[in-house]
Amino acid sequence: MLSLTWIEELQEFLHPEQIKRNDSFHPLGNDGAVTVYPQAEEEIAAVLRYADQSGKKVFIAGRGTKRGFGGQREQADILLSLEHYAGIVEHAAADMTVTVKAGTVFGDLQRALAPYRQKVALDPFWPDEATIGGVIAANDSGPKRLGYGSARDSVIGLRIVYPNGTVIRSGGKVVKNVAGYDMNKLFIGAMGTLGVLSEITLKLRPLAKYESVVLLSFPSGDVHDIRSFAVSFLDTMMEPVCFELFNPTLAERLTGRPVYTLAIGFEDVENAVHYQEQWVERLRPKAAEMAVLAGEEAAAFWRTFNTVAPNGRLAQAENGIEAAVKIGVVNLDVLSILRESVLIADRCHVRIEAHGGLGHGLCQAYVHGSEEGVLAAMEELRQAAVRLGGYAIVKHLPFSLRQRIDVWGGKPSYFFLLEGIKRKIDPNKTINDQRFIGGI
Amino acid sequence: MRKRSIATNDPHIQALARIVGERAILYRKEDLMAYDCDGFTVHRHLPKAVVFPTSTEQVAAVVRYCHEHDLPFLARGAGTGLSGGAIPLNGEVVISLTRMKRLLHVDLENRRAVVEPGFVNLKLTNSVAHRGYYYAPDPSSQYCCTIGGNVAENAGGAHCLKYGVTTNHILGLEVVLPNGEVIEIGGNGVPDPPGYDLLGLLTGSEGTLGIVTKITVRLLKNPEAKQTVLAYFDEVEDASQTVSDIISAGIVPAALEMMDQTAIEAVEAAAFPVGHPKDIAALLLIEVDGISAGIDEQIDDILAICRRHHVREVKVAQSEEERARWWANRKTGFGAMGAISPDYLVQDGVIPRSRLPEVLREIANISRKYGLRIANIFHAGDGNLHPLVLFDASKPGETERALAAGSECLKACAAVGGSITGEHGVGIEKKEEMRFIFTDEEILAQTAIRDVFNPKNLLNAGKLFPTPGRCVETKMPSTVK
Repeated sequence: MLSLTWIEELQEFLHPEQIKRNDSFHPLGNDGAVTVYPQAEEEIAAVLRYADQSGKKVFIAGRGTKRGFGGQREQADILLSLEHYAGIVEHAAADMTVTVKAGTVFGDLQRALAPYRQKVALDPFWPDEATIGGVIAANDSGPKRLGYGSARDSVIGLRIVYPNGTVIRSGGKVVKNVAGYDMNKLFIGAMGTLGVLSEITLKLRPLAKYESVVLLSFPSGDVHDIRSFAVSFLDTMMEPVCFELFNPTLAERLTGRPVYTLAIGFEDVENAVHYQEQWVERLRPKAAEMAVLAGEEAAAFWRTFNTVAPNGRLAQAENGIEAAVKIGVVNLDVLSILRESVLIADRCHVRIEAHGGLGHGLCQAYVHGSEEGVLAAMEELRQAAVRLGGYAIVKHLPFSLRQRIDVWGGKPSYFFLLEGIKRKIDPNKTINDQRFIGGI
Repeated sequence: MRKRSIATNDPHIQALARIVGERAILYRKEDLMAYDCDGFTVHRHLPKAVVFPTSTEQVAAVVRYCHEHDLPFLARGAGTGLSGGAIPLNGEVVISLTRMKRLLHVDLENRRAVVEPGFVNLKLTNSVAHRGYYYAPDPSSQYCCTIGGNVAENAGGAHCLKYGVTTNHILGLEVVLPNGEVIEIGGNGVPDPPGYDLLGLLTGSEGTLGIVTKITVRLLKNPEAKQTVLAYFDEVEDASQTVSDIISAGIVPAALEMMDQTAIEAVEAAAFPVGHPKDIAALLLIEVDGISAGIDEQIDDILAICRRHHVREVKVAQSEEERARWWANRKTGFGAMGAISPDYLVQDGVIPRSRLPEVLREIANISRKYGLRIANIFHAGDGNLHPLVLFDASKPGETERALAAGSECLKACAAVGGSITGEHGVGIEKKEEMRFIFTDEEILAQTAIRDVFNPKNLLNAGKLFPTPGRCVETKMPSTVK
């Protein structure tokens, strides 16, 4: 047990049960000498005010699914967990907006909205464990980003606790708003380096009346076939909510067949969904095989899919290292990245499960293997992305290896602006120090 | 512009002329008059000069010169802004981007295009229409407003209910910072560039953080089918309730517009009448689009909802020509006020949709209180109201009364948890109204961000934020709700 006398000072604004001392550190880092569990916004503010004034460092966590995402410090003084700061503040069903506390589990939120036939139009990984605050802070999105956009398209308002304990609101509770700067955007994907998200207001979408996912597998393995099908399908007036390609390794896990597979999702009234399935049927190359999962089968497919990414809450892989890489390229270049993933897996003797959206340009690659193999594979994936004018960032990696690779892949030319924003809001680097790009 | 030499001793004018060329600068009073305001005509001020750069390098050189010599400056597109964002309050050097109007690149396979800031919004759609694509944000001024200006204002439009506003369609920007440095964000349209979301921050910053010189936008494929419904109501409440019920039935219309009786009187007296009955209280213009196999079902639902709320008459457009006439009638609605009033002032409040009936009642009260007619033409689907205050500027005191009535409409929107602007921006017009929705601390949080980009505050100063209070009241965070 470390003897940390200052911890007693926390009891001035927290109950003893809200304070937990930690004896050992998590292998993913981003830990704290002490974890605190605020239950009210005032308590979050009090913790930050205390830390900011007494030179303590604070890390922010939801339920820990993204603990392996960024961060060059093994521990801070205080780990601020929002796990006990959960619940819906206001669901204005007629206005199709919801305000929710940041520690609310994403899946719980969706289940509360479902009886109203409404949903938050995001499909993040591990929805039953990730918190809405973490999803927004890390800007997590899934394949249906094609149809519904990402966090920046759904968030309409935030209450943010600044590092000095001040509460700032951005945006509002209306779906359209250009009053002042669009400050919401600053905090989405900021990895908690600018403030603690306290309450999040989201616009909602109606639940689809019917959904299906068409799985189109390409046994030939020729990405040119996939490309020409994709180009011709995306040029039609069909409206897929996702158009996601799986590499053979991932396809094997999800469908049992180790061949490139496209997952094309449709959500609409039933007639319109079937009509679009027929378009796939009509345009698919002869060699491609097609299967349709409808209704609950489609939902179940996505539930499985949502758990393929590494999860910081789970025990570490026993044999070897697990990593996740997010790659951004221009839409159709996803094909090149997925092809590279197969070649790189071979060269580096690792297993890479990868998927990417041909309509939005984001890929995720999950790498599993020896330390050296994983590091080499991530480096090669990054080079492939950069060659295409894109980027690669490491979304999950044990702390010890994060010190051997640049998680964020260098600084943009306008880094001084990012640094300037951080300095204005958190001059003492009190929160999530070194969690973000360029050591911000 | 005719050839002429610079006839002034002002060294700044001479220096700027050397950067952009003598044919690309205006500095005589008679030439500057056209630049003393934008679409918000209540305030006017002459600029020091207007320059017409043709390249990013020229924009950067002009900005660098202004920065070094402490000359205030601002960027201007087509000047259609409705909140005064391009008015040279401080005698700015106006950087007009109307000669940077090229379409640089179209990549339909990846659904994106790159344009210069002076490129006109509707021209982009026209350039890709033959392949079945379009650019979604459609402000009513789209036939003449520029995409650069749309980025600055985060412009909306009638169809943003389903497709979002400008910020949802911007993939990359090249920006000249207020010190003349050029940066590129999200360059070729790669999503989620690592770092804080500067694309999101810059879009809608009303030209106070930088000058956009190149824009990568998302293009969309035309919907397979489109149906438009026109519904006439005898009671505003019935129209409002129809709006709510359509939304809660899980229908996401592409557009859901409303006009009240005064507005109908104006559009029917103006250039694009369509024969709306003049004695109805409100009309709804509803458009749904998407996969054809699903459209009829949605239209049936909408018609049933209208009937449930005592619609007097409801019809579905029978041809593209009919649909286009209905939209021309709607999109020229603001200008149509000229047919029934010498002057008008348009407001842009936003409210939670469900509060529509009570806020419309409150606006009627404000109209009575100030003795001024107020017409309402608005995006009912997303709660974005446009009260049009009708007045006569030639009558002493009436302009002031109109401004006060407009401001009170915004207060009514703020009071139900809404916003003071949904798409027109704050500009000069609504600076003080920012206090209806933000605390001093929240406003300071925003100006702190401006200072990172624009530390000398030479770029478009005096816009967007209220003049700092003499006595800054600090509200306790716990009282902010």
